[in-house]
Amino acid sequence: MNEIAATLFRAGLLTAEQREHWKRAWLSTVDHKRIGILYMVTALVFFALGGIEAIFIRLQLAVPKNTLLHPDTYNMLFTMHGTTMIFLVAMPALFGLANYVVPLQIGARDMAFPRLNAFGFWLVPFGGILLHFSFLAGGAPAVGWFAYAPLSETPYSSQLGVDYWALALLVLGIGSVGASINFIVTVLTQRAPNMTLRRLPLFSWMIFINSFLVILALPVLNAGLVMLLIDRRLDTHFFLPPGGGSAIMWQHIFWAFGHPEVYIVAIPAFGILSEIIPVFSRKPIFGYEFVAGSTVAIALLSLLVWAHHMFTVGLGHTVDLFFVASSLLIAIPTGVKVLNWSATMVGGRLRLDTPMLFGVAALIQFLLAGLTGVSHAVAALDWQTKNSYYLVAHFHFVFVGLIVFAILGAVHYWFPKMSGRMLSERLGKWTFWLMTIGFNLTFLTQHFLGLAGMPRRVYTYPDLPGWGWMNMISTIGALFMTAAAVLLVWNLAVSLLSGKPAGDNPWNAWTLEWATTSPPPHENFHELPPIRSRRPLWDDANPDRPDPIVGTKWKADTFVPEKNKASVLVFVISESGFFGVLILAYLFYNATPQPGPGAHDLDLLKTGMFSLCLFTSSFTIWRSETNHFKGNHRAMSAWLAATILLGGIFIIGQVLEYWHLFRSGVSVSSNLFATTFFTLTGFHGLHVCIGLVALLIVLALALVGDFKQGRSPALQAIGLYWHFVDIVWVLVLTVVYILPHL
Amino acid sequence: MTTTQFLVSGWTWNAAGLIVGATSMVAYFAAFRTRGRIGYFAAALSVFLLTLLSPLNALADGYLFSAHMLQHILLLLVAPALLLLSLPRSLSVVVRPRLLGHPLAGWIAGVGAMWFWHAPTFCNAAVVSRPVHALQTASLLVLGSLFWRQILAPREDERLSPPSAVLYLFSACVTCSVLGIIITFSPIAVCSIYTMQPKDPFGILHTIRAGWGFTADRDQQIGGLLMWVPMCLIYLSAIFAQIARWFDETPSPAPVKI
Repeated sequence: MNEIAATLFRAGLLTAEQREHWKRAWLSTVDHKRIGILYMVTALVFFALGGIEAIFIRLQLAVPKNTLLHPDTYNMLFTMHGTTMIFLVAMPALFGLANYVVPLQIGARDMAFPRLNAFGFWLVPFGGILLHFSFLAGGAPAVGWFAYAPLSETPYSSQLGVDYWALALLVLGIGSVGASINFIVTVLTQRAPNMTLRRLPLFSWMIFINSFLVILALPVLNAGLVMLLIDRRLDTHFFLPPGGGSAIMWQHIFWAFGHPEVYIVAIPAFGILSEIIPVFSRKPIFGYEFVAGSTVAIALLSLLVWAHHMFTVGLGHTVDLFFVASSLLIAIPTGVKVLNWSATMVGGRLRLDTPMLFGVAALIQFLLAGLTGVSHAVAALDWQTKNSYYLVAHFHFVFVGLIVFAILGAVHYWFPKMSGRMLSERLGKWTFWLMTIGFNLTFLTQHFLGLAGMPRRVYTYPDLPGWGWMNMISTIGALFMTAAAVLLVWNLAVSLLSGKPAGDNPWNAWTLEWATTSPPPHENFHELPPIRSRRPLWDDANPDRPDPIVGTKWKADTFVPEKNKASVLVFVISESGFFGVLILAYLFYNATPQPGPGAHDLDLLKTGMFSLCLFTSSFTIWRSETNHFKGNHRAMSAWLAATILLGGIFIIGQVLEYWHLFRSGVSVSSNLFATTFFTLTGFHGLHVCIGLVALLIVLALALVGDFKQGRSPALQAIGLYWHFVDIVWVLVLTVVYILPHL
Repeated sequence: MTTTQFLVSGWTWNAAGLIVGATSMVAYFAAFRTRGRIGYFAAALSVFLLTLLSPLNALADGYLFSAHMLQHILLLLVAPALLLLSLPRSLSVVVRPRLLGHPLAGWIAGVGAMWFWHAPTFCNAAVVSRPVHALQTASLLVLGSLFWRQILAPREDERLSPPSAVLYLFSACVTCSVLGIIITFSPIAVCSIYTMQPKDPFGILHTIRAGWGFTADRDQQIGGLLMWVPMCLIYLSAIFAQIARWFDETPSPAPVKI
């Protein structure tokens, strides 16, 4: 164990005083660099796990009519492989990279909220263990990473696997939203003084944009997971047609999240390519504005087009038509990016070191992924190929061909910064070629396998012409990739111990992370170079021909919001997505009246009175804030107490309402009205209660006298949240109580 | 009546529309002479007149919910945007009372118009009653102008800055998409008047239902989808223009003195 400490110490990853308690120094860290590395190490562990699952899948499929795996075991491995690779590998790896690189690139000392950062990381191993614990609790989920209803419902999956799956994804989803809020606020508030928003390096810019996508898309999944869990544990019928539910609803919710999710992992990969390709072409990126702007286009479009995942569901020609058109549009901004990266390389002095090799391969493979993607946007073609290996090949070209390759490029690119030592170029090139050959053997072949008619999601197949040998090639390719992965780990270990020292800026790169030592000191920078353009280190090294100055014509260029308020605002946007789904579900399930309890069992008058209390509390908290600003300490506490009292009365009103309904025999599983009613109002009530706890804490702090010195943003931040909870209640009151009376 | 016959005879003689069109043309040239951007103005006027006079209006008048939705989008989003673009770049567009000039008011105007006129009662009323229909048309133009003023005001200093504009437009896009999604998947008719047998003054109903395949269900679906997808694309295009503005490094030319 002391050897590990000694190694870390030699690599500069531990200070002398931390050597004695190195485990605690790392496990209790709130330093963004260490958290970033922890994220990546965790991703690597799960990568090994998901990889082993993939190997078993490939071995089972190597020959026709194979009996290596039991069909159920196959389904479990298949589900766990998909879930693990997306939620426990791709996302943590990219979040880890972003965690390490973004604060350095923007010249910050750390993330805006270091503790939230640590919390977000620790939810990853927690979620991962929760997911894998299902193996011990009666069997892993066997429903695919998409968990289509009704297969994922109790009548068809009675084991606990799906429950663990849903809980794990909820935990991971919360962690991702937390991390993304942190990224947004960090970029907005922690930038070095001259690092304006338009001077951001592309990786940081893309993480910034991508974080908005995360906070908008993940809550949609969370809402779906909550509904699935309620279905399974409380015996309701959100997604069960026999009880009036809609299985298609699950697909809509899942893909409304699932499609943006593709871009949530792809955009950071785009960011990595946008860093690596210019540096190894010795040219600034071609068309920074287009690369940055097309990212926004991709992010926004991706939220609109999820229905193209559902062409084969049978939504009807009309719906298909609209989503064919809008899905084809995504090809434009992605095409713009590919052209920009290519144009960056044209006429450059290419240096084909390992990071660049991975970058170029990612670019070429992503081009193919994009082309097959466009073919899937055409519904008529999609019907023929969706359920075949052609689709498996397509999305593995995105997830492995682009994303994993980009991550590997990033690891080779930034490892010297993280460890102070270079990775072995020789081993790196071996890894690259093994990986590239293996990947293409496996997945290029699967395009043809799919076109030859082999369906996906099957545990074995008949010996049809061509299927056997193509599957064998695919499996051999997987073994090549395994070798590449082993080599990578070997390279990481050996280079950490005895790699050649990297120096501050081994690649002659131009962004700020290379302006500090490798590894950077705890506080990141002793001194920052002047920042006038997007390549401060180039300007520093070439004072006679600097980059054109990027101006500060917009106020937003240098705008720095207060970080607590900003974080709550972003959180509120995220929560709106969650409530949006619940409200839409309520409207959908209650569009036609159903037998049993309904809106007529609710007492509008009584609820209206209690609602009035809640609405008044928005006023009282505002009064509390104004008094706080005036320095009127006692009035502030009094208004705050009034707010808590009013919120408390509202909750009591809700308890009374629930009690009344329970007494008259209405429970959450009575019918879909009751289910949606209790889900929607219950989650709102939960938010009120959380707000009350936060307000009580603020009140306690106020009474102790914490707010007497100057203005504190805490009250305002809580106030924003409280207003949001009230606005949600306006909507809930309208939809649930008032609408049926119109 | 066949489709071709309908396209020839389906034009509406809308005196009020023509008068408004003619008056605005006279007013435009009187006020700006050649300082305006005539191309945009011609486009705005054409969109306005085509929306109200062409067979689209005949279809929206009791036959097709989707035609009504298209009209709605043209009047709320396209015509006002073109009109604002047609104004001379030095013109200050001041809104009184000042509260209406606030971004939140603009946002509520644009999004509220969508939600308000698709409440079943108002949606039906606008089809049945002429005055309500006229009120709807006028309100869409006015509210649309209020909405777009934040983005397309001729003078740079009266517009939102690009990041705020992106938030403004994107939240509007999402809010309208939500309504589009509700309409698309709603098992009940949003504007029930269109599901009833219309008077069919053109004798085109059979062609619409059987020939074009616009059943009542599909009609509503198309209406919802128009709001969900193409309408959002209008907002998204505006967002892209904002991104271009954000990254534009050329200094904006000093306003020309008149």
